[in-house]
Amino acid sequence: MAEQKLGNPAVVGLAGFGLTTMILQFHNVGWMGLGPVIWLGLIFGGLAQMIAGLQEMKTGNNFGYCAFTAYGCFWLALTLLLIGNHYDIYTSSKTDIGWFLVAWTAFTAILWVGSMRIHGALALTFTLLLIGFILLDLAHFGYPALTVIAGYELMATAAMAWYIMAHIIYADVFGRDILPVGKPWIN
Amino acid sequence: MKVGKRIAWIAVLVACGLGRVAMAAETATPEEVISKVRAAASFLHNKGTSGYADFNNRDSNWVWKDSYVFVYDCRQDRMIAHPMRPDLVGKPIMQITDNSGKYIFKELCKAGNQAHGGWVEYAWSKPGAGALSRKISYALAADISFASGIQVSAGVYDELMTIPQLDAVLKKMSDPSRYQAL
Repeated sequence: MAEQKLGNPAVVGLAGFGLTTMILQFHNVGWMGLGPVIWLGLIFGGLAQMIAGLQEMKTGNNFGYCAFTAYGCFWLALTLLLIGNHYDIYTSSKTDIGWFLVAWTAFTAILWVGSMRIHGALALTFTLLLIGFILLDLAHFGYPALTVIAGYELMATAAMAWYIMAHIIYADVFGRDILPVGKPWIN
Repeated sequence: MKVGKRIAWIAVLVACGLGRVAMAAETATPEEVISKVRAAASFLHNKGTSGYADFNNRDSNWVWKDSYVFVYDCRQDRMIAHPMRPDLVGKPIMQITDNSGKYIFKELCKAGNQAHGGWVEYAWSKPGAGALSRKISYALAADISFASGIQVSAGVYDELMTIPQLDAVLKKMSDPSRYQAL
């Protein structure tokens, strides 16, 4: 009996990561309000990405296991934090949120190094994500205008995550690699 | 008789003095406006979006004498909180003009984006008065996480004060050696 084909959890993880990152930036640059960011952040960026992350365990992919689970939790924490701020539950000041982002920047820097061993597209995604986090950190510590610049920069990050998602899905449905992801930056 | 006259004069003077104090107590000063607006920006920095509701409350500290603090979003073109005009809350603001055709919120947003904020003169109705008065408002950007473009503002109702005079007050109050910086 032939082995049953399994899906790659990364396609859901990248989809959730990309979409919620994208929609938060639509808000950050001022195109839309915060409502959809909260609900998509909870369900897609949070719950779905976190489950995809947990499913990565069985594939033996530690990078995906850690990254998707952690960024899923990031989205759950961020949206709950914003809901808390709205309802005055454990209110976080802008400085508090700044430190929250600084911790995630440090965490991202660790994964960024690992991403350079995987492939070029992932390395570029994490480079853009790290820059985006640093810009958001600065936006929370004295340079609020950088929120908008971070917004456009992180749209590119989200697009890159979707590119990798499309790479995996198209390779499957077309039976050949349509979208190349490039060689690792560190061999 | 002489003593009585003296007492009467004192009574008149005291009455006039109290009257003046009472009059003064009803008019917000530029210093108060700057302090309140800065306090409002700092309050929103600490409270985030949960702080907005306070500014819709007429009984809060943000309404004092003949002035009040209002909050608006320059980027999303929306009034966030206004204690005197609940009808404006949640509505677009950029198209609002005064009787001379000045786009009030376009000017406020421009002024508020300066490093220490800025003053804008326009016509607006004074709380309790039906007719329009000359109002000069101080606008300042409020620092809220994931919400760029939020500003807080309050104004003085005065027929004579000039923008350069008010800028001088602002400059004095922005001097960290005299006033604590935000």
